[in-house]
Amino acid sequence: MSLLRNYWLSAVAIVVSAVVFLVPFSFIILMAFKDKTQAQLLDFSWPQGMHLWTNIVEVVTTRNWMLLTAFINSTILTVASVTLVVIFSAMVGFVLQRRKTRFNGLIEFLILAGLMLPPAVVPTIWLLQGLGLFGKLHGLVLVEVAYSLPFSILLYRAFIATIPRDLDEAAIIDGARPFDVFFRIILPLLWPVTVTNIVVQSVAIFNDFTNPLYYLPGNANATVQLTLYNFQSQFSTSYNLLFTNIALITIPPLIVFLFFNRQIVAGMTAGAVKG
Amino acid sequence: MAGLELKSLRKSYGNVEVIKGVDLSIEHGEFVVFVGPSGCGKSTLLRMIAGLEDITGGEFYIAGKLCNDVEPRDRGIAMVFQSYALYPHMTVYDNVGFGLKLAKTPKGVRDKKIRDAARILQMEHLLVRKPSQLSGGQRQRVAIGRAIVRQPEVFLFDEPLSNLDAALRVDTRMEIAKLHADLGATMVYVTHDQVEAMTLADKIVVLSAGEVQQVGAPIELYQRPANLFVAGFIGSPKMNFAEVVVDAVGPGTVTVRSKDLPLATIPADTTGVAVGDAMTLGVRPHAIISGGQGSLVGVVALVERLGNETNVSLTLPSGVSWLVVLDGDHSLSAGQTLALTFAPDAAILFDAQGRALHPLLPS
Repeated sequence: MSLLRNYWLSAVAIVVSAVVFLVPFSFIILMAFKDKTQAQLLDFSWPQGMHLWTNIVEVVTTRNWMLLTAFINSTILTVASVTLVVIFSAMVGFVLQRRKTRFNGLIEFLILAGLMLPPAVVPTIWLLQGLGLFGKLHGLVLVEVAYSLPFSILLYRAFIATIPRDLDEAAIIDGARPFDVFFRIILPLLWPVTVTNIVVQSVAIFNDFTNPLYYLPGNANATVQLTLYNFQSQFSTSYNLLFTNIALITIPPLIVFLFFNRQIVAGMTAGAVKG
Repeated sequence: MAGLELKSLRKSYGNVEVIKGVDLSIEHGEFVVFVGPSGCGKSTLLRMIAGLEDITGGEFYIAGKLCNDVEPRDRGIAMVFQSYALYPHMTVYDNVGFGLKLAKTPKGVRDKKIRDAARILQMEHLLVRKPSQLSGGQRQRVAIGRAIVRQPEVFLFDEPLSNLDAALRVDTRMEIAKLHADLGATMVYVTHDQVEAMTLADKIVVLSAGEVQQVGAPIELYQRPANLFVAGFIGSPKMNFAEVVVDAVGPGTVTVRSKDLPLATIPADTTGVAVGDAMTLGVRPHAIISGGQGSLVGVVALVERLGNETNVSLTLPSGVSWLVVLDGDHSLSAGQTLALTFAPDAAILFDAQGRALHPLLPS
């Protein structure tokens, strides 16, 4: 009984988090195994028969293999955006932290404004059309970069403050030009926070639904989240296919997270102790 | 050949002037040490030489070339930082070779230079390690290796030993002295530790509040300090000072008196000294000896017996506290009256402006 008394709160926490995280996930998996009629019921029942493979084949081949195009588009979008965000926000964070000028206050205000102001869709579309970037993948890359920058800059700036300035100066004495200092000294040392940034931003951009919907119309341009939208309209009652699709597009972010999870923890402990 | 020439060098942050016109000339191959209390601007001066701080005014020459606005990498300097500033993500090999890599030195030459530097500093076995796997002394060695591998004309050291423990400090100090003898390069060294300054320097520059107080050989600074500040700063324990009044002026001597010492005739430069002038008398703790009927009588406040010598804190009649270092062991107790004396030529007189009135040297 003392066991129960000591650990009941932990047990409750485990049960609650299991319910919150595992129930929706298992619901998705179960639905992906069902056929159309059973999925219609939207209940928590064991699938009657194995329909996973037929569901997958149907989801992938629908609309002329649209899901594959969407995966390619989403991958390009995510990789390009995250790369640009990491490099640019680390640079901005570096300069902002190291060089004190009278414009710093204004720049910090703009960054915070970028974090606080809601995105204005219609003016952005108007601007993109003016630049000839509307409905183009690289246009959407720029939009995603713009939306992700403020948060990343804040992350990087806080971390750069912990890197001693002596290192910059030692590199300068060693003959490093500003770009050498950044790319050879500062950026490698930012690895722990870069990993955090990659995970957070790539999951957010990969899972982004609204921005591709607004700025990237057209079937050829679809990103993975938009394939869900198409499914709902086309087979408004085909829940088995919808959930199969969800299960398929959940896999890449899951892999990213599993892959970098170890590195996040390792990076955090490496930076914690003075070395 | 790379001598340094500083001509009324100034540095200010906004309205605050931290370096107030420094004139200094450093010969090629000289070991120059900047000393001073913290905040006197010695590190700032070094960083101005390195090119890490902008020069607000004045001129700075390396080997006769005006270098006010020359980038650090083009100055032919190397610097060792107090915090070592090793790049944590690189091995020792890459740390040492970083400068060469940036200079696009061919790989074979680079490798040879790195290994030569490692051999000189006896750290060949450390080359594959990361800085986090090194001890403090080893890190310092790597930092020095990073400096010598680039074969600079001028080495700059910013308090390189202050993060090391006492024993290691002595060893590294000797290594730096040896390095200077071997390389024959110009070295500028900043420290607040007088022992480092006295043992390493060819020339010491004493700085206070952004101004040079005195420049000279270590022993000259000890024996003939230019003013009260240098007299008080150089030498450990500190020189003792007493307020005195001029009683008589003789040929080459000044007779002074005060509450603490009845009458003392001190050899000094008598130019412009008049009877009745207020002065300061300085005597080093080691120059005071126990004498039967000494001119210096005080009450013992504290005794530290070290065996080979005895440190006595003495309260003089005026309430001033003097420190005396007596040779050998003396059994003294607090509250006891002690009579001491000092040789007149071991004392130094300072005028009201704090300038030392050393007796003129026989020419």
